[in-house]
Amino acid sequence: MGDGPEADDAERDNKTMKKIINDPTKVVSECLYGMELASPDKLEYTPELEVISRRNPGNKVALISGGGSGHEPAHAGYVGKGMLDAAVAGNVFASPSPDRILKAVEKVNADKGILFIIKNYSGDIMNFGLASTLAESEGIQVDSVIVKDDVAVPDSEEGTGRRGIAGTVFVHKLTGAKAEMGGTLSECKAVAEKTIANVRTMGMAMSPCILPAAGKPGFLLGDNEIEIGMGIHGEPGIEKTTVKTANELAGILLERIFADYNYEHSEVAVLVNGLGATPLMELYILNMEVQKILKEKGIRVHRTYVGNYMTSLEMSGCSISLLKLDEEMKTLLDAPCDTIAWKQF
Amino acid sequence: MLQFTSSDYADYIKKAYDFIHSKGDYITALDADTGDGDHWINMDMGFGKLNEKADELGKMNISDELKQIGMIMMSVIGGSSGVLYGSAYLSAAAKVKGKETLAMQDVCDVLDSMLKAIMERGKAKEGMKTMIDSLAPAVKAFQDALVSGKTDQEICELVARASEDGAENTKTMEAFKGRATYQANKGLGHLDPGAVTMSYQILTLMDCMKEKLS
Repeated sequence: MGDGPEADDAERDNKTMKKIINDPTKVVSECLYGMELASPDKLEYTPELEVISRRNPGNKVALISGGGSGHEPAHAGYVGKGMLDAAVAGNVFASPSPDRILKAVEKVNADKGILFIIKNYSGDIMNFGLASTLAESEGIQVDSVIVKDDVAVPDSEEGTGRRGIAGTVFVHKLTGAKAEMGGTLSECKAVAEKTIANVRTMGMAMSPCILPAAGKPGFLLGDNEIEIGMGIHGEPGIEKTTVKTANELAGILLERIFADYNYEHSEVAVLVNGLGATPLMELYILNMEVQKILKEKGIRVHRTYVGNYMTSLEMSGCSISLLKLDEEMKTLLDAPCDTIAWKQF
Repeated sequence: MLQFTSSDYADYIKKAYDFIHSKGDYITALDADTGDGDHWINMDMGFGKLNEKADELGKMNISDELKQIGMIMMSVIGGSSGVLYGSAYLSAAAKVKGKETLAMQDVCDVLDSMLKAIMERGKAKEGMKTMIDSLAPAVKAFQDALVSGKTDQEICELVARASEDGAENTKTMEAFKGRATYQANKGLGHLDPGAVTMSYQILTLMDCMKEKLS
C-alpha cells in the first residue's frame, strides 16, 4: 500500500486495464450472448433484459436466480437440466431490475410456481422482492429463498447481515434436482432452505479486480498481503495478513467455518472455489490440504468440486464451502445435471 | 382548492428533470464522498426518460401515470434507487386508483404511501441516512399542516422546508445501508445524495402545486 489515500489513488490510477472486451458498456450483453452460443440448442439469451433461459424447461416448478454480473459462470452458467431454469443478470456487481426478473419469469413459467434463489445483498433482495410482488399481481405463484453462507460476516437482524457467496451453487444444484424430479413449489423451497441451513463458506483474496466501466481497481492489496474474508465484490474482510502456505490457508478458512457450524461426524460436499485469477493448480493444492483436515476431523466427504464456480472478475483468491448432507440431499447432489458450468452424469 | 391533474403531474416531472439535471456536479461530488459516485447519473437517466415520455404520461389517468412512472424508474434508474422509487410509485398508483385529480389530502396520501413503500422495500427507517430522511419529515409536516387550518400555499411552503431540512440533517447521521457503511466514519459529516435528490423532487412538486393554486 502507498503512503496514505492520495498515494493509494495514484497507484490505482496507474494500473492499466487489460481485458478481452470490445466495449465496457457491453460486457454483460456480449458475455451472455457468448454463453448462449456455447450451448445454443439448450440456452436462449434475451437481449436488453439480460436473461438466459432454458429452451425447454418442461412442466415443473421453475427456478430463477440472478444478481450482478462479474461472477461468471454464476448464474447463467447454471441454467439447464437439473439446475436453474433462468438466470437474470444486472450490470457488473449491480442487481438486475425487476423488469428483467419479470422477463425471466415470463420465459420459464409453467404455472407450477416459481422459486427465486437470491443471494443476500440489499439490492438483490429489493429487486427480486418487487418482481415477486408484480408477478403475484399477475396471478403467478412466486416464493423466494435467501442464501447467506459467508461466515466472514456476522449474521444480524439489523443491517443486511451475512452475504451470499459460492455456497449458492449447492442451492442451485440440490433445488434444481428436486424440481426436475417433479417436486412441488413448497418441496423445492424446503430443499433450498435445508441446503442454506447446512452450507457455510469462507474466502480470501490476494489481488483486486477491475470493473470494466471503472477501468481501475476498487481497492489494493500490498505485494505480500492477503485479505481473509473479503467479499466477492471486494467488500472488506476480517483481517489483512501476509501470504500463507496452502496448508496454513486451509486451516484458517476451515477454522472459521467450524467455529460457525458443527460438521463433526457428518458427511459433506466440498467446494474449493477460485475467484477468477487463481490457477487450478493452486486450487487443487488447497483441496489436498482441505481433505487432510477433514479426514483428521473425522468428516466424511461424499463429493468434492474444485474450480471457478463463483468468481469476482479477475480477483485472485479462493473460497471453501462445506455442505452437510443427509440421505435426501446426497440423492439430490448425485442427480444428473447438464449446464455449461456444471455437468454431471 | 387544489385539482392537480395527470397533465400537471407530467409538468412537474419535466421541472424535476430540469432541477436534477442541473445539479450533476454537485450530487456526483456528494456521492463520491460516501457512495459509488453513480447516483446522479442514474437519476438523471431515469428522469431523462420520464421527461421524454412526459407528454404521453400526461394523457393517462393519474393512477396509470404513476404506475408507468414507477415502471420506467425501476428499469432505467436501476440498482437500489430504481427499485425504491419503483415501489414508491406503484404503491402511490394503487392509492389514487379511480381519482380524476389530486386534492391536497390526496397528494399527502401519495407521499405517505410512497414513504411506507420505500421503508418496507428498503427495510429502513428515519435516521439511517437515506432518502427517507427527506421524505418522512415532509409527510409529517404535510399531515400536521392539513389539520392546522393553514392555507394550501402555506402548507406547500412548510412541506418544502421540511424536506430540505430533512436532507440537510443527514449530515449528522451514520449510514446503515449501502457502500457508506463500509467506511470507518459511516459517512458522518456528509450529506446523503439520495436524500438531497429526494428533496429536489419534493421542492419541485410543492412549487408546481403553489403555481396551480395561484
